[in-house]
Formats: sequence, C-alpha cells, structure tokens
Amino acid sequence: MANLQDQLAAQLLHTKSLPVSPTWLNNFLSTSSALQRNIPISALTQTALFRILTSDFRESLTPRNPASKLPVDIFDPTVQERRLPSSIPVQVLDIEDIGSSLWSQVEAIERVERGEAVRGREIIRTVNVGDEEQEGTNGTAAAGTGASVNGNARSDSGGPHRLILQDAAGTRAVAIEMSRMNGIGINKLPIGAKLLLWNATVARGMILLTPESVTLLGGKIESMDQAWKSGRKARLLEKVTATGGENAT
Amino acid sequence: MAVTKVLCVAEKPAIAKAVAQHLSGGQFQTHHITGNQYVKNYVFDFNFGAPWGDCSVTMTSVIGHLTSVDFPREYKTWLSCPPAVLFEAPIHTSVDKDKTAIAKNIMKQARNHRALVIWTDCDREGEHIGAEVRDQAKEGNRNILVKRAKFNNTERAHVLDAARSLIELNELQANAVAARIELDLRIGAAFTRLLTLQLQPLHESLAQQVISYGSCQFPTLGFVVDRYLRVKRFKPETFWGIKVIHTRDDIKVNFLWSRVRLFDRAAVTMMLERCLMAKNAKVTKVNQKPTSKWKPLPLTTVDLQMMGTRYLHMNSAAVMKVAEALYTKGFISYPRTETDQFDKGIDLKKLIEKQLPDQSWGQYARGLLDSNFRTPRAGRHNDQAHPPIHPVCWASPTVLSAEEKKVYEFVVRRFLACCSDDAKGQSTDVEVQYGEEMFHARGLIVLERNYLDVYVYDKWDSTQQLPNYRVGELFEPTEANIFDGKTTPPNYLTEPELIGLMDANGIGTDATMAEHIDRIKQRSYIGAHSRGNGRSAVEVLIPTRLGIALILGYDDVFAGLTDSPSLSKPFLRKQMELEMRDVCSGSRVRQHVVQQNLDMYRELFIHTQRRMNMLKAAFQKYIVEEGNV
Repeated sequence: MANLQDQLAAQLLHTKSLPVSPTWLNNFLSTSSALQRNIPISALTQTALFRILTSDFRESLTPRNPASKLPVDIFDPTVQERRLPSSIPVQVLDIEDIGSSLWSQVEAIERVERGEAVRGREIIRTVNVGDEEQEGTNGTAAAGTGASVNGNARSDSGGPHRLILQDAAGTRAVAIEMSRMNGIGINKLPIGAKLLLWNATVARGMILLTPESVTLLGGKIESMDQAWKSGRKARLLEKVTATGGENAT
Repeated sequence: MAVTKVLCVAEKPAIAKAVAQHLSGGQFQTHHITGNQYVKNYVFDFNFGAPWGDCSVTMTSVIGHLTSVDFPREYKTWLSCPPAVLFEAPIHTSVDKDKTAIAKNIMKQARNHRALVIWTDCDREGEHIGAEVRDQAKEGNRNILVKRAKFNNTERAHVLDAARSLIELNELQANAVAARIELDLRIGAAFTRLLTLQLQPLHESLAQQVISYGSCQFPTLGFVVDRYLRVKRFKPETFWGIKVIHTRDDIKVNFLWSRVRLFDRAAVTMMLERCLMAKNAKVTKVNQKPTSKWKPLPLTTVDLQMMGTRYLHMNSAAVMKVAEALYTKGFISYPRTETDQFDKGIDLKKLIEKQLPDQSWGQYARGLLDSNFRTPRAGRHNDQAHPPIHPVCWASPTVLSAEEKKVYEFVVRRFLACCSDDAKGQSTDVEVQYGEEMFHARGLIVLERNYLDVYVYDKWDSTQQLPNYRVGELFEPTEANIFDGKTTPPNYLTEPELIGLMDANGIGTDATMAEHIDRIKQRSYIGAHSRGNGRSAVEVLIPTRLGIALILGYDDVFAGLTDSPSLSKPFLRKQMELEMRDVCSGSRVRQHVVQQNLDMYRELFIHTQRRMNMLKAAFQKYIVEEGNV
C-alpha cells in the first residue's frame, strides 16, 4: 500500500509536476480500494489526476514543497521583475477581460438573457452606415454588402485577460495574459481550472502568462465555477457603478 | 374590319399620361371623367404588333389601390364586440369611397373594349392593384382579355418595347399582398382596440391618443427604444493605452498600439515599463502594396434612403417622394428595387451618353465614354423585377425643384461612379515590436481618384507620408507614453441607421420602411430631434414616454415565456415577411399562411389581455409618475 502510494506520488510529480499531498493520496487510495486490485498503475494515475484537477489544490497538493509555491510577497509592486522557480501548480480563482469595458460585458450578458444571441446575429448587428471600409487590395473582387458589419465592440471575450491564481499554500497572485492563448477566455477557462507555471516572469507583482510559461492542465472546481458564473453580472455591475471604472487592481 | 379596342390602366395619372405620350407619338385626345379631377382618359391609335395589330387605345389610370378590406358595420365601432372577435370576424372588400368614380370609369370603359392591358408598377403592390383593376374591368365585361405590360421606367423606347411584349398578371404576388392586407387589418385592429380601450383612460395626456399596434410599427419602435435605453443606462469607464512616437527625417510618426486600449491601469503601466526597459523597438514588417477604394455598388432603394438622409439632409419619406416624382417624370428608373447588379443586356454607355449635356458632370461622362468606362460591380441581390436605380434621361436643372435636383444629382453621380474605375492608391504598413508589445503605423498615398471625382459623397485622402523603415532595423522611439480616455455612450439612433436595422431584420419592404417610421412619428411614439449645430447637425430619433412605456410594458408582458415571443423585437414580423415570399414563389398557399399567422398572433393577444396589468404598470410608472428608465 505504502509502496503503491509512493509510486503514484512519484508518477504525478515527475510526469505532471504535481506534488500530491500524502494525506489526500492516502484518502484517494482507500476510497477507491475496490478498484485498485487489478488496475495498472498508469490507469490509476489517470484517475488520480482527474480527481486532482477537479479538487481544490489546497487540499490535494502538499504546501510544503518550497519549489512549487508562489513567493508570499509576489504582489509587491516595487519589484520590477523576477523569475519564479521552475514549476508551480496553481488554480484559477477569477478571470476578467480587460480588453473590453465592464459595461459592454454587462450588455452582452443581457443580450444572452433576452435570448437574442441565440436568435442569430441580425439583432445584434451594428450597421455602420457610410464609413464602410471597402479598401481591398487589387484583385480581390469580392463584393461587399452595402453596409459593412464592423462590430463596434469586440464582442467575444477578446482579452487580454486578468486572472487571479492560487497555489497549494493558498497564496494568491494576479496574472496577465500577455499574448493570446487559446484556452484562456471567459466561459472557456472555468474557475478552479489548473495551470502549471514554468519559470514565469513576475513584473510589478503581476505574473506574465505566455504560451512558453504556462501549461493548461484543465479541470475545474464545480461549486466555485457555478457561484462565479451566477454572480458575474452582479459583480460587473457593482464594479462599474462603484468605481466609475477606475478599476486599477 | 373593326380595329381591336384596348383599354390600358396605369397606377397613377402621370404614368398614364407619359405612356400615352409615347405610344401615341404625342397625338391623343384627352377626355375628362366625371367625379375625379386627376384621372383622365387618353384616346389614340397604336400598333401593338401581332396578334392585335392596329388598335384603338384608351389609356387611363387608378390612383393607387382601388379597394380596401374592412369589417362589416356591426363590428366597426370600437365597443361593438370584444376585440378578440376581430381575428375571425367576416371581412369584405369594397371600392374606397373616394375611388368610386375611378372604378366606375374602368367598368364603363371595359364594356366596349376587347382587351385590358395593366400598366401598374412592376412590384408586389402593383400586381395587387393590377388584380383590383382586372376585377373591376370584369364587372363591366366578363370576357375582356387581360394582359400586363412589364416596364420599369418611362423612357420612350422602353415603354414601346413593353407594349409589344405583354405578359400575364402575376397572381401569386397579388395573393401575397392580399394576405398581408388581411393580416395587417385583423391583427392591427384587434391589438389597437385592446390597447386604446385599456390604456387611454390611464392619463389625461392620452385622451385623444389612439394607441395603435402594427406588426411593423412595434419592432421599428423597439429599435428606437432599445438604443435610447442603451444611451441612458450607459456607464462611462476609464481606459488606458500606450502611444509611441518616432521622429525620422523630420516626420513625426505616430505608432498605434495593437491592443488599442485596456481597462487595467496597472497592467498598462507594467507593459509600458517593459517597453522602456527594452530601449529599442524592432521593425518586424514593412508592407508596401497597391490598395484601392472600391466604387459603390449599383443603387438600391434602401441605399438611396440611407444615403439620402445622410448626405442630402432629407428624411427617407421625403427622398422617396422626390424619387417617385423623378420616376413619374421619366428622369430615373423605378425607385423601388432591391437589385444591386445591372443586367448584362442593359446599354450602360447609352445611359452615360444621355448625361453629356450636363454642366457639372457632362465632362466626366465624356471621359467615361472615351476610355474610362468600367463594368459596374455586381452585388448579391436581384429582385428579378427592377434594375438598380439609374438615370434614364438627362434632366435640365431648370425643370427640377431644389429637392428634385439634389436627389437626381445623387442618382446620376452614383450611376456614373458605378461605371468608373476604383480609386487607386499605395499603402504602407509598418509594424514594430517594442518590448513585448506590438505597434503599427499606416501611410496612404492616393494615386488615382477615378470614381471619387464624380462621387463627391465618399472621402479617401492621402495621409502623411511615412519615412523609410527596413525590416529588422532597430530604433529608439522618441516618446512612449500612457494615454487615458473614457468610453462614451452610443449615439441616439439616426434615421439611416434605423433603415439599416429594419433592412437587416426584415421589417417592412424597401417600399414601406419610410412609411413605418413616419407612422410611429405620427402616433407620438418617437420624435425627431436635432443634435449638434450647423453643418454637423444630425437628426436623432428619441422615443416619447408613451413609446417607452409601450415597449417596456410589452417586454414585461412576455417576460419569461418559452421561446421568448416578443412584439417589440423583429422576429415575428420577419417570419411573416418570409412567408409572404413563399406565397409569391407558390410554395405555400395564401389561406394557410394567413391562418397560421392569425393563430399565433391570437395567442399573443390572449396573453396580452391576461397580463394587461403589466402594461398598465408601465404606463403608471413612465407616463403618470414620469419615472426614469
């Protein structure tokens, strides 16, 4: 048993860089004891990984490994730049689109609430009369329609995004999506989703997310994600009315 | 052998006269008819070709629709029956009171004519009017032979052609119009009575107010209210961005941030700092390429209305009225069309030639004929009935009123622009990486103006010239700063925007959009207000308290229902419009479509009755208590 637990822990640490908490692993093995008998270690690792990704890192990972924790003063804005140690597993606590105004996000939510977004694009079409940008390179003879559709606000969550991340010890940090990443987006990256930071740069207290410094592991924490979704509009409204948009971090 | 006697009937007196002129070569007798001072009978001879040959022709006209549909007397007064009954009450068609003399004239003339040729406008409405004329003629002569002339302008050769290649009346289109008329009557009357009876007593300001409902009016009002609410509820927010300036060869180049702006000051500050830390920016792309600004598409009605309101300072209803007059006088083609492609058969050069005498653009037209002519772009729409709006003849400015001159000039310039070459230029795009951020600058040199010379409504100007940059070179920007700004609310809706929305969402047809807008103004649901001053003044559409109460009240009435049906959104009307097209194409039967729509609207009607208190609450809030949205 102890042997199996060590094997699993080593697997998860080496292949996924996840320092799993012995207590959690012990618990995992004892609750799935019926299964473990004939199951190969690789399959068991998969099951454990799946559970870890839907768990809270503060419970499933060990907070004792200093190499996989955020510095406690990570938020310090007086530090111009520093590097994080090689790999740190974190989970997402919040995600915001800082490329669009809060109000435009509220309006987009309301359109969905009214059932308009699913009715096709016409109702949300903004017609920019007159200033159709019909500059085409020579040879492109595609016929433009009379009025060009030139969405006045970037309607999807176009980002960049600002995330709040948390490590196994519970330390939180702000992260900024510096270059576009496919898996990062509102309604795309759930709350509780897990990431691995690889030698990430921290500038003025913000972790810089780039494809080279982040691996998306997936997963989510269902209860937190639900609460986040249902409270999103209210939070946006509160923020936009309270601060008048002076939303410095 | 007696010559064949042919009766011709146009949609308007002016068309009758113009056609008579052309067919007779100017030799005709004019007879007045009793009871109407506008309609005349013109008598002359004309050879229709085989099989009729030489004919004795009487050309007359109606004035729009001859008949209307209504409920019998016992349903007519507002309290005579519960409004819901109007969904199935009998209806009958009768000649309008002020049209009886015209109807009688047609009936009388039909008696001694062998054939009837319908010359109503070639669109759905015209087809229905044609059917009315036919029915009237059959009353006088059951055996009269019925034909139709297909034409879209009153230019001489075109009219003669039409007279010698007659076709049949399109029954399907006439049916679609009949279906729409019945639906509009029943649905409009039922809802209007319900709303007026229930809501009028709520406030003294409504005492004289008919609170009408129309399946086009409401969505049109809905667009105006929706925009108004967006403006009113808007919350401004601060944003920040980075601007980079580089001076080279005495040229100050502004580089724009590819992120444009962000709503997080700390993030922007951090990003700027990382730019500055990098010290040098690196040129990653220099792209120099020929570019062009496309000439406009051939002119449709919707485009004419939008451009008219934008550049001619006339509202869409006025533009259409003037265009209508220009058509009747034979200067332009039929102004109600969805087609934005010219038929291959049309002789464009001949039409351009007609414009040579003009003081302002005759020279330009000459240039087109000499060597500059290019085939117009083809859009994606073709209503299979009318060509794009174009000038038919040259009109001397002396014969046009001030407004006619403006619209005519626009139509001609647009047409000449369509037959011109695109404007050509050279653009330069420079992209640089500075720290982790990307910036770009763009320069444009206009080399050949081409169509822009005649189409004065488009602007395309050279920008400042960019200095030389080489890919891979490094430079230190002269300045890099943070700028900030605030988001601004959208503007109130303008009429051209509203027409664009109606068009995109299938509310009304190009023929009726202007009327719907006019109607909700008359009903005091919206008002037009001037914003800004001088030349930059724009007219914006703002809903009244009544308009707001109706839309918000109705949204409450239907809130939470499955499928979210809504009378203030365009979906239902769009559906109806599509079904009318099915009737036109013959894929669905008129009775079916009418019945199905009545069933659906009846359900909405019952629901409205049940939740009338919601509407009343909205009236209480926005009209009586003058509450804010």
